[in-house]
Amino acid sequence: MNVSVMQENLARGLQIVSRAVSSRATLPVLANVLLKTENAGLKLTATNLEIGINCWVPGKVAEEGEITVPAKLITDLVASLPNQRIDLQLSVKDRTLKLVCAGSRSSIKGIDADEFPVVAAISDAPATSVEARALREALGEVVFAAASDESRPILTGVLTKLSRETMTLAAADNYRIAVRSVKLNTAVAAELTIVVPARSYAELMRILPDADDPIEITVTPNKSQVLFHVEGIDLVSRLIEGQFPNYEPVIPTAHTSRAVLDREAFLAGTRRASIFARDSANIVKIEVGADGSDGNPVSITAHAADIGDNADSLEATVEGSATTIAFNARYLIDALSNLGSDEAALELSGPLAPGVIRGVGKDDYVHVIMPVRTAS
Amino acid sequence: MSRSRARSSASFESCSPPARVTNTAARTILHADLDAFYASVEVLDDPSLRGRPVIVGGRPDERGVVSAASYEARRYGVHSAMPLRTAARLCPDGAFVTGHPDRYRDVSTAVMRIFASFTPLVEPISLDEAFLDVTASRAAFGDGGTIALELKRRVRDETGLVVSVGVASNKLCAKIASDLRKPDALVVVAPGQEAAFLAPLPVGRLWGVGPQVRQALIDYGVSTIGQLASVSGAALRRRFGAHGLELGQRARGVDPSPVTPTQAPKSIGHEHTFSRDVVERSRLEATLLDIAESVASRLRAHGLAAGAIQLKLRYEGFETITRQMPLPRQTRESEPIYEAGVALLERTRSTAPVRLIGLTAIGLAELQQLTLFDEQPRSERVARSLDAVRARFGESAITRARLLADRPQRRFDFGERPTADAGRPPNDEAR
Repeated sequence: MNVSVMQENLARGLQIVSRAVSSRATLPVLANVLLKTENAGLKLTATNLEIGINCWVPGKVAEEGEITVPAKLITDLVASLPNQRIDLQLSVKDRTLKLVCAGSRSSIKGIDADEFPVVAAISDAPATSVEARALREALGEVVFAAASDESRPILTGVLTKLSRETMTLAAADNYRIAVRSVKLNTAVAAELTIVVPARSYAELMRILPDADDPIEITVTPNKSQVLFHVEGIDLVSRLIEGQFPNYEPVIPTAHTSRAVLDREAFLAGTRRASIFARDSANIVKIEVGADGSDGNPVSITAHAADIGDNADSLEATVEGSATTIAFNARYLIDALSNLGSDEAALELSGPLAPGVIRGVGKDDYVHVIMPVRTAS
Repeated sequence: MSRSRARSSASFESCSPPARVTNTAARTILHADLDAFYASVEVLDDPSLRGRPVIVGGRPDERGVVSAASYEARRYGVHSAMPLRTAARLCPDGAFVTGHPDRYRDVSTAVMRIFASFTPLVEPISLDEAFLDVTASRAAFGDGGTIALELKRRVRDETGLVVSVGVASNKLCAKIASDLRKPDALVVVAPGQEAAFLAPLPVGRLWGVGPQVRQALIDYGVSTIGQLASVSGAALRRRFGAHGLELGQRARGVDPSPVTPTQAPKSIGHEHTFSRDVVERSRLEATLLDIAESVASRLRAHGLAAGAIQLKLRYEGFETITRQMPLPRQTRESEPIYEAGVALLERTRSTAPVRLIGLTAIGLAELQQLTLFDEQPRSERVARSLDAVRARFGESAITRARLLADRPQRRFDFGERPTADAGRPPNDEAR
């Protein structure tokens, strides 16, 4: 292997693929990144067996070849080099990669490329594509709601349903659920439902450009893996097997009170209350419709025995009957801080019914939080 | 009986100088304490025990401890927490009875209901003890002494039990007063006379004076509460810090602490002592399941949910360990409590013989996170139905199949009762 690339391009590529490097690799080769000449450039690959990332770096190939080298070492080295041409040359005999850049010469001992697991090269035609920016926004409103503990593995994934021209993303952790729909660039031939690990989507969000480039989505026929392809980058993820809970019945279709609030103010008030809620199971109470001290129709309060209490009253437009509800502050903060609109609507149907948060003027998103039953 | 009551009823008003000002703003607090509660309930249920030394806790040859003793038994030197075998030695003719915790709870509920008919401000301390703030009830029922007499009469008429009552302007003095001339006491401390009332009593009677503080005070030349009251705040602060200032206040009969109705428990626990030390994991787990059900049932009864679970293990030789872990979500169901107990047991990695095993629900809160998909509402409905069946037909009316084979006897807070393996040949009985 003998290839020349620009430092800037190689550094960016390594930074992208190193997201997929296992931090606690079971196989030593999984701590490495695979470098392979391909399509008149250099393909970088890393995998932790759950996700794999390929990234193509433009370059000038004098001799084909492939090798794996420790990902952290080469990433740190390349990041420290000046933005000039880097010549990479592999000595096959002693599996050593030599890097020459400006006056710097390094050699890195590697492991044979044969030992690197195959990151599925999915050759099927993409099912559809979606705009990168739209997908990134949608994932931002959904992925955080997935379960982080493994007690129900299916809930660590994000339900992804492709139907006609709509992609529906749903994530839930048993106490809350976020559902968002995104318009696809092209209609899918057949309806397709998969469950993608939330961690894979979190990595995808980091890779997606803030542009309207199309992201191609391909699912293997046996529904074991999904491939997201954007210019120069592949992200392959395994899929979670099993049945995602039927969430549609738990999303309220009506409400008895509705408050429209400034999202930032609502979030700030909840954060303040949560400081006091830390010692009382993180519970904040929201009163809608009863005039607070300042004549504002929504109040957020938290009370901790022996610590103190806090009350914020918020301006809002309220319809319907007065009600009080208690939530775990964390769920409220998560929902409000990820909501992609300036105004939030809170829809309630009594203290023990699910609370609904929507973005005002956005009918493609719904977030449901289960309340906390309190004594009083 | 009424004679002895008349004798032991006393008013502290008699030996106080005329009060300069009757402090009408003062609170009126009652401390009501049932005399020898468990033993008295046993006598009620078995009149043949009347007049005999009754010792509640188990058979005299068992390994547990005395949970209650009648006044007759106390004359022999028997007291609660004493090993049953010691009690049997001191009082060989005593009537040893196994306790009936569910019965005590029922009787206690009836008594607390009587208390609640005098004031909504009832703070139960235990099954047989409560504070009542009757300040606002005086207009309807008369002064503290009158209310106390009426309360004693109603408890006796309606339950057959005898209650000692202390009346004072605060909880501290009311508690000390009720304890002063037990049994069947009625002691009234007039407002303004708190310090005079406390002055001759030993300092050890005060809240916050344990053996160490008491010894330190005695070294300081202070043995009565009156002497403590005359020590300057600065000196107490130097010696005992902020706690010293509080002690000085209390010694002068000042206690602003309010009567807090239905004090929520900070923890709810159950434990079981085996008649023979147990090694088999299956037996320990079956016991944990039984304990988890008791804990969950009491959580539901209190309307609380547990945030964490603590496992207690006592090995042979009395070495005791506790291990705790948070629960993934708050619960009032037996299953997650049991699972946490098993996980904690697993974590000890010990195979040493176990003498006592217990679970305590901690991080209690009067709230519960509702869920989207779990079958929690259904399982909670099942659990509540079980509670209802047990409340009506007794603890053993319904149980899990798993617990039938190897069901340990339910334990309250007494010692040992026969268990399923009682028929096995004794091995290391000498221990």
